[in-house]
Amino acid sequence: MRKYIFIFKTTFLESLQYTLNIILGFVSFFVVLFVFLNLWQYIYADSTNLISGYSMEQMIWYVIITEIIFFGTRNRTLTGQMTSDIKSGTIAYNMNKPYNYIYYIVSRHLGEITLRFFLYLGIGILIGYHFVGGLAGFQAVNLILIVPVFLLGTLINSFLRMCISILSFWMEDAGPYHWIYDKIIIVVGTLFPVEMFPDWAQPLIKFSPIYVVTYGPAKLVIDFSMEMLWRVLLAQGIYLGITIIIITVMYQKGVKKLNVNGG
Amino acid sequence: MKAIQVKNLSKTFKVKVKEKGFRGSMSSIIKPRYKSILAVDNISFEVEQGEILAFIGPNGAGKSTTIKMLTGILYPNNGEVSVMNINPCAKRKQLAYKIGTVFGQKEQLWTHLTPYDNFKFFGAIYDLADTVIEERINELKKTFELEEFINTPVRNLSLGQRIRCEIVASLIHKPEVLFLDEPTIGLDPVVKENIRELIKKMNREYQTTVFLTSHDVGDIEKLCKRIIIVNHGRIVLDDSMEHLKYHYLNKKIVEVKMKETVDFTAEEGITVLKSKGGNLKLAIDTTKKKINDALRLIDADNMIDINISNVPLENIITEIYRENKVLL
Repeated sequence: MRKYIFIFKTTFLESLQYTLNIILGFVSFFVVLFVFLNLWQYIYADSTNLISGYSMEQMIWYVIITEIIFFGTRNRTLTGQMTSDIKSGTIAYNMNKPYNYIYYIVSRHLGEITLRFFLYLGIGILIGYHFVGGLAGFQAVNLILIVPVFLLGTLINSFLRMCISILSFWMEDAGPYHWIYDKIIIVVGTLFPVEMFPDWAQPLIKFSPIYVVTYGPAKLVIDFSMEMLWRVLLAQGIYLGITIIIITVMYQKGVKKLNVNGG
Repeated sequence: MKAIQVKNLSKTFKVKVKEKGFRGSMSSIIKPRYKSILAVDNISFEVEQGEILAFIGPNGAGKSTTIKMLTGILYPNNGEVSVMNINPCAKRKQLAYKIGTVFGQKEQLWTHLTPYDNFKFFGAIYDLADTVIEERINELKKTFELEEFINTPVRNLSLGQRIRCEIVASLIHKPEVLFLDEPTIGLDPVVKENIRELIKKMNREYQTTVFLTSHDVGDIEKLCKRIIIVNHGRIVLDDSMEHLKYHYLNKKIVEVKMKETVDFTAEEGITVLKSKGGNLKLAIDTTKKKINDALRLIDADNMIDINISNVPLENIITEIYRENKVLL
């Protein structure tokens, strides 16, 4: 474990060199937030109205939190980098080190996103407070229970991304699958809560990764209940178990057919 | 004790074949075709502990594929491999603690960090205690003369300094076997010499077994006592450097400057490599003609200057590559 903490720490230190790049990445974050702030303020002409059980404040905070999760944890290491490492055979140079490549990548990813996530979190909270004020009924003490849900969501998202990247052992390009996953998460998982979708689609979404990666954590912040917490944690536990099994099996099979270019 | 044992090792790659044009692209989607490439073909050899071995061959000969099988990165199709009595495929992680690797064309250091931070990082991933890491860094810092730039970010180092740091990073856990894949590629002659000296020093002081691949004949000549040449995936020569240099081709090069032109073309055992006016470059095959017999053919009164040398190692190796191509 010590070595993975060290990998996390080293990557985090390295990410400090890119603070300016992270700040430049805020542009798309601001654009999406700006559009949806105006959209929801227009739709909630009367701010006391409820839409699908959400007040205007809850709806805007939902979008802010899911956007923080989406933009704050987005990282090339799990997508383009891992895919090109497998295709080019560069992965080989990590395999002769005494660590598990999968845990190494996860540690690196977490080290790279930590600073970005907290910067987006800070900016997102400031925007939320500035435009709609605090969340009614929010209790800071619940954060102790919500933080692990956020961490598990981030971890599951990372594992799902890795499942897609590992496909590169068999496919020419895993990029389109990442693109599809990206779009599903941003369109279905961040801009509207599950309750906004038609009745027939809601069970599908609740069984999808959206429930454990974005919807669950965000819903717990805006409307905390112990029942919801257990439901999300149970779903996250199942997703975590399944993704770990899939990654392990795929990786072990994939490595055996590794083709290292240039020898 | 044997550091490396390889027996009947083979590796085949499956490569997709695509016919040209749009039709070819479509048919490769519907019915992909593959061809097999035999990268390593039934090779066997052993390396003693503390030995420096040159494992060379032309591009595509199977050198790097062999190294990757020895380090557990690639899985062989056939044969047995044992490095420090460990099967690399079955126990890659366990083997990682006993070996170090330097790939001259691939940097393993983190470029935004200083060499010191990199060494701390590598020490940590090899589960070394902080005090041990510090001791080891101090020891290697002196051996590899890193004092000047140990706290400069790697991205600001020269190529020679970076390679020195790459080697140190791979030695931090005291590996028993070090795999060097073209460690001096792209370096200037002075830095190359410096790196070779350091490798020799490391081998002397720590008894590290070195498995070296390089296209640079200087690396091989100055570091190795034994050489294995591979071509088309097969071992075509496994011999000592001494034997290779003095007995393999049995040739001497005689460069002679005469007052007048002399014709040696009819002489058995003498090949005229160059002839321009009185300047001659001759290759003497000592199995057919003794060197003193060849010298007797040169009129001393007519001679201005003479130089006798062995065939450069580079030529010997090129000859072996060519011969092998012809044989196959």
